[in-house]
Amino acid sequence: MKTITQVFSADHLQCNQLFAEIEEKAYKNDWQAVSSEFAHFRDMMERHFNIEEQTLFPAIEERTGQTSGPTAVMKMEHQQMRQVFDNMHKAVEQQDNEEYLGLSETLLILMQQHNAKEEQILYPMGDQILGTDVADIIAKQQAG
Amino acid sequence: MNTASLSLEQTPPFSVPFRFFFTAPLFGILASLLLLYDGPAILSHHSYPSMYPNTIALTHLLTLGFITMTMFGAILQLLPVLAGSLIPFPVLTSTILHILLTLGTLSLVGYFISHQIPILAVGITLLSLAFLFFIGIMAYCLIRVKGQSPTIHAMYFALAALVITVILGITASLFFMGIRFLPFYNFYNLVGLHFTWGLVGWVSLLIIGVAYQVIPMFHITPQYPPFATRYFVPTLFIALLIWTLLVYIYQPLLLLISAMFIVIGLSFFAILTLYLHRKRLRKLPDITLKFWQMGLIVLLISVPIWLVSSVETWLIIDLANFAYKPTYSISSGLFFIMGFILPIIQGMLYKIVPFLVWLHLQNQQLSQANIKIPNMKQVIPDKLAKKQFWLYVAAFILLIISLWLPQFIYLASLGFLGSFCFLTFNLFKALQVYKITSQKLRESCTK
Repeated sequence: MKTITQVFSADHLQCNQLFAEIEEKAYKNDWQAVSSEFAHFRDMMERHFNIEEQTLFPAIEERTGQTSGPTAVMKMEHQQMRQVFDNMHKAVEQQDNEEYLGLSETLLILMQQHNAKEEQILYPMGDQILGTDVADIIAKQQAG
Repeated sequence: MNTASLSLEQTPPFSVPFRFFFTAPLFGILASLLLLYDGPAILSHHSYPSMYPNTIALTHLLTLGFITMTMFGAILQLLPVLAGSLIPFPVLTSTILHILLTLGTLSLVGYFISHQIPILAVGITLLSLAFLFFIGIMAYCLIRVKGQSPTIHAMYFALAALVITVILGITASLFFMGIRFLPFYNFYNLVGLHFTWGLVGWVSLLIIGVAYQVIPMFHITPQYPPFATRYFVPTLFIALLIWTLLVYIYQPLLLLISAMFIVIGLSFFAILTLYLHRKRLRKLPDITLKFWQMGLIVLLISVPIWLVSSVETWLIIDLANFAYKPTYSISSGLFFIMGFILPIIQGMLYKIVPFLVWLHLQNQQLSQANIKIPNMKQVIPDKLAKKQFWLYVAAFILLIISLWLPQFIYLASLGFLGSFCFLTFNLFKALQVYKITSQKLRESCTK
């Protein structure tokens, strides 16, 4: 049986791959490709955030009876990333390669330390405490 | 599982890691000045380098003043964030640690230059307190850690190696005060053990553990294979333990075999990491990557030199009448510290410092969206970091040349001096960006 850790971490990996492809195109000033792929990347990230915020995190919060704990921090970091997306979007519109690459460097570290905390602490915790709900959450993630 | 105390947002205040990061390059400057002052003497002092005071002073300016300094800062930053384990009273803790380590290092180095025993006593007391305190804090956090990872796992071993290094260091310093412990009948064995436990044990094991986390993160590479994350660090640690015992039992062949394990382990780590770098998805030029590549390539060169030096020290010294030319131990130290550890730490600083500046500003921003937070590459521009990197590489190459042509040491030390000044400038530029933006945010908040 699949675990939350496996399924959600695989999603991170896909986002990382796309992130790297777009960054390379921005470096080469291929703005046409960047603009369409960035929109796709942002959608992928949003979808991932939404499933976590609407399905996984509430389930964890319900089990632990704690809404101000780790899930709150993860949501705050989602907000931080959304802000960076906004700025990246502007850089894409202005075809500003220096600004885009500076922001993508920032997003990378923000995103990766966020993913590490989820993959090493939060997801395993979800697998451990959610019991039978795990299958439901995974089904929703994959139906997305 | 107790989740009530689990919080993932535990970024310590700005000053906690930064006081260490900003002090480190200043010790690099001091080390370069000492090298410049001493010139070829440090390299040409072939008889008993571990007795030559300026060599010891130089080594400790780098190992305590630069390496341990940044590692204290990085651990105080990393443990709460990656391990969900909070450091008690972070600002007070870091202030005390920083003062003890800075003054302790200066006093220890001061002794080797002035030869005043009371200064040594002060230095050893301050350093012992710093390490005792740090080891206590790190152990406290590691015991309460939430979630296990290969990085945390490596930290246990690195911490144990640090304990051993500190005990050996204190014992060595007591030698200078005329207090000799029986098991350490040979001062050179003791120094060799202290050197190896510090650099191969504490520092390298920590670097390996951190690599498991950051190499895939920074460059989007595949993860380290499980056999590596499971066995590398414990194997190295056990090999070091066996090697240490064999130094005393004096079994040359077994000694060589256990040293080979250490060499193979470290080389394998370097090759595997270089391989993962090649497989990275993020192909853009990256200064942290360049520093890591330099460090790993030099590591590959320096381990065989260490092997020769370790065997040379144990075999030749004990065979009494041999002419002892410890060029290898000097070279292995130079390669290991200047070529492997220092580049990797500098590469890490170029990621950690801009990110933390950005993160702290972002956390202050709240709703004042009208003030733009500089992105990471605006905190320290790539151009400046790149120039500093190439200056460092040039200085290192000059240092290698000076092993054969001692007069080149002056150029090498000027190169290092320039490079450490440049690093200081880059880090203080980041601090300035932080202060200016932070000020703007505060002003807009009060408006």
